[in-house]
Amino acid sequence: MITATGITRTFRQRGGVLAGREVQALRGVDFSIAKGGAASFIGESGCGKTTLGRIIAGLESYDGGEIAIGGTPMTPLKPKQRQPHFRKIQMIHQDPYSALNPTRTIHQTLQAPLALRARQTGRSKQWMEERAAEVLSLVGLDPGSVLSRYPHQLSGGMRQRVVIARALTVDPEMLVADEAVSMIDVSLRLGILALLKDLRERLGVAVLFITHDVATARYIGDDGELFVIYRGQVVERGPVDTVIADPVHPYTQSLLSAIPVLHGLEEPGEQPVVPLESLDESRADAGCLFARRCPFRSERCESELPLLQVTDGVPQEHACFHPERRSVIARPLSGV
Amino acid sequence: MSATVIPETSGGGISTASAMRRNFWRGVWRVMRRKPSRLAGAVILVGFAFMAVLGPMFYPDNLPGDANAITRPPSWEHWFGTDPQGRDVLALVITGSRYVLLSAAVTALITVVFGTGLGLFSGFKRGRWDTVLMRVTDMKLTIPGLPLLLVLATVWKFGNPLQMGLVLGLLGWGGVARAVRAQTLSLRERGFIEAARGLGLSTGHIIGKELLPSMAPYIAMNMLIAVTGAVYAQVGLFFLGVLPYESNNWGVMLNLAVFQAGAMITPYALGYLLAPLLAILLLTLGIVLVVDAMDEIFNPRLREE
Amino acid sequence: MAQPETAPPQTAPAPVPAPVTPAPGVRIDGLTVVYKTTAGELPAVRDVSLTLEPGSITGIVGESGSGKSTLALSLLNAVQPPGRIAAGSVEIDGLGDVVGLAGERLRKARGAHIGYVFQAAQNSLNPLKTVGKQLLDLGRSHGVDDLRGLVREAKELLGRMGLDGARVLDSHQHELSGGMRQRVGIMLALVLNAHLVVLDEPTTALDMITQANILKIVREVHAERGLTTLVITHDIGVVAEVADRLAVMYGGRLVEQGPTREVLHAPRHPYTRGLIQAIPRLVGDIDEARALPGRPPTLATVPKQGCVFRERCALRMDICETDDPAALADGPRIVACHAVGVKERA
Repeated sequence: MITATGITRTFRQRGGVLAGREVQALRGVDFSIAKGGAASFIGESGCGKTTLGRIIAGLESYDGGEIAIGGTPMTPLKPKQRQPHFRKIQMIHQDPYSALNPTRTIHQTLQAPLALRARQTGRSKQWMEERAAEVLSLVGLDPGSVLSRYPHQLSGGMRQRVVIARALTVDPEMLVADEAVSMIDVSLRLGILALLKDLRERLGVAVLFITHDVATARYIGDDGELFVIYRGQVVERGPVDTVIADPVHPYTQSLLSAIPVLHGLEEPGEQPVVPLESLDESRADAGCLFARRCPFRSERCESELPLLQVTDGVPQEHACFHPERRSVIARPLSGV
Repeated sequence: MSATVIPETSGGGISTASAMRRNFWRGVWRVMRRKPSRLAGAVILVGFAFMAVLGPMFYPDNLPGDANAITRPPSWEHWFGTDPQGRDVLALVITGSRYVLLSAAVTALITVVFGTGLGLFSGFKRGRWDTVLMRVTDMKLTIPGLPLLLVLATVWKFGNPLQMGLVLGLLGWGGVARAVRAQTLSLRERGFIEAARGLGLSTGHIIGKELLPSMAPYIAMNMLIAVTGAVYAQVGLFFLGVLPYESNNWGVMLNLAVFQAGAMITPYALGYLLAPLLAILLLTLGIVLVVDAMDEIFNPRLREE
Repeated sequence: MAQPETAPPQTAPAPVPAPVTPAPGVRIDGLTVVYKTTAGELPAVRDVSLTLEPGSITGIVGESGSGKSTLALSLLNAVQPPGRIAAGSVEIDGLGDVVGLAGERLRKARGAHIGYVFQAAQNSLNPLKTVGKQLLDLGRSHGVDDLRGLVREAKELLGRMGLDGARVLDSHQHELSGGMRQRVGIMLALVLNAHLVVLDEPTTALDMITQANILKIVREVHAERGLTTLVITHDIGVVAEVADRLAVMYGGRLVEQGPTREVLHAPRHPYTRGLIQAIPRLVGDIDEARALPGRPPTLATVPKQGCVFRERCALRMDICETDDPAALADGPRIVACHAVGVKERA
């Protein structure tokens, strides 16, 4: 459905002491998602995953690389021509509170994109009304009680469902969900995740899931690929369960080690990698990007940048000179 | 698709839209009722509007003067006394209101349309357009209003309230433009604007249906404040006497009360002085009281609660 | 009472931080906090009893509207109008019943006795002042004479948390990352030598690695300084990592509490069970995770009568409609559920 190759994006810092300094948000990211497929990007805040999601949804420009949607490369197209392609990819924002216009009812919010569709395809007002009710039912809301409401009259979980319903009005082929449940109440989160999963299965909508929570990424797309991104570079990628169970990059290992252990239900992993805090990011970019924080670094790591590669006997790709499988995640206690 | 369609739960589009409009006005009524002061403000403003539209119809074009009752203090016959020509002051205030309010309305309209339009365009387009327009706005803001008006008054007589409103409006849109631009810049980063762009909705829709309603309380407030400003400005100009007394007008009344009837020295002309002042004060009060309700009227959450 | 004693020694006499004051215990008894709304006074916290043992870390887990933040504010007697503490007491060792405190004594108690770390420390810092200036303001408002000593103590604390103290004190809020702000928040809560610390959502909006670091710091500082710590969060994982004791709130009620491991291992209240089941896991069948039906109540929709959880409960019985289940103790564990009570008695 979508293929991205070598996506780069550089921001120039504006104002302040760092004015003019360039920040590489993305350093050549490759991935592709098939129709109805899934891919998850995990990483810390500021690693570039949000920028990637915005680029894929057409909300941000990219400096280098190529994005092909349904086989059509985007770079040669003018912005106006790109628009209908990017419309197939809809963004689900993190904050369901700001994602809906507080001055418009759910009915109005859904009608706007539907009216556009109706005009393009010559469909009737009746169709618009039916379709609005339909997308709401798809996301598990009762159209009768929701349509006339304003966003503030709905709970966070319901709002996020409305946001998803609004995205569905344009029959998207892919949803980009950026931390889509982090602001939702805990007992409702799984409902939203299950909905996204369900849309994948029922409508064949692909999902690009961006999060710092590996477990939710696994829940949505355990059949897809997991990408671990660090300072704009993908440092490890592979089938979700493989990367979780047998990570080889030290960064992936420290990310997974940082997941809280549910003592009483789980026991800590065998070889956790103590996550090192990076407090100094203003260093030159020679060598491995993670070297400063890496407990396993060697001299080579300081001078040479490792690229994504495959090692024998490992199904995932990694960007590390010293790949070693470590079992870091918590294991369920037996008998629970 | 395996969805279950439930068409009967949502009626036709038209009925929903009109129902919403009804709900809006019911909400407005609820907001106004919440504080008696707001209702009072609304009554005052409606009163002034009636006065300006209908008031002059009750009086002849040239108000009759009573030569036997020149510059009289307030009495039962003349509530605010009479002027040096023996005309009833209340009648003067009423007939004079049309010029003042009409020009104020024109000012407000121009301020809001110009300021909002430019601010929205600038904030939404950003980039080069924004820079150019905001430079223009800044330059405009640095022009001192009163001296310019004084200069203009030497070549233009402002006999027509529309002319007056036009000039004041063209002088006053800068602040609104800056404020609206700032609001636009912050709103355009919000998720719902981004979503609208992602859905491929037209710029017209985004500006008209998504941005504008969010800024409505802001714009409405600015408009009402512009009305007050315009009233002060023109009354001030007439009071200073830099404009010819061609029309009947509160500012002219103030000028005459002070410089001709000698309201500062003789108590007989006090009514003549106080009547237009009171009218201005009352109008300002009405506006201030109504402005208080704007935020709640345009914010659905505050409106419904 | 003993006001002079509550003012802590301004300078640590020795560089080795030896806990002078023993960690205070806290006994919350029958606490009810109501908020005034158009529909009358509604309880945000209702008849909550909870004991924080001296030197323990207690975690309170709850969703939005569960009353967990209100409960935390009650510890400082800092519930803002339209809310008020309607009933109950909060006894803190060395301070007495905080509910009765007011004015200057209450202000002094906050900070000097009870340290409060606000939600992810995002907005609790003044954006216009450097951290150091805010530290001095804090010292002055608490009548600290030796401001140099205060700064030294602050630097030491920041250093302990892996930060360059001097640099952080010279920084403004926007120059600090989320994790650094959170550390500054912890420093400000501890610098006046408080021994009771309340952390409100300490890791919300932080990513996993930063969260792990902050939790590690919380654990270590807790042990080193001899604190009694209360952590408020929506994330069971956070509590599982740091807390000795876990308390679960729902709809203003404390529905279950007990030793963290025991509660996680065998939750008794259906809500606790549902919450744990709703956590997606890293291994095993992903379909084992189940969403809780329904949604959490708000102040206005909390049932006035009967069990607050019954509308989402699978074990609901007739009695749940009418009677609010009492919190019954069974050893170290306390559960408020009719269904659990039935099983026990049978």
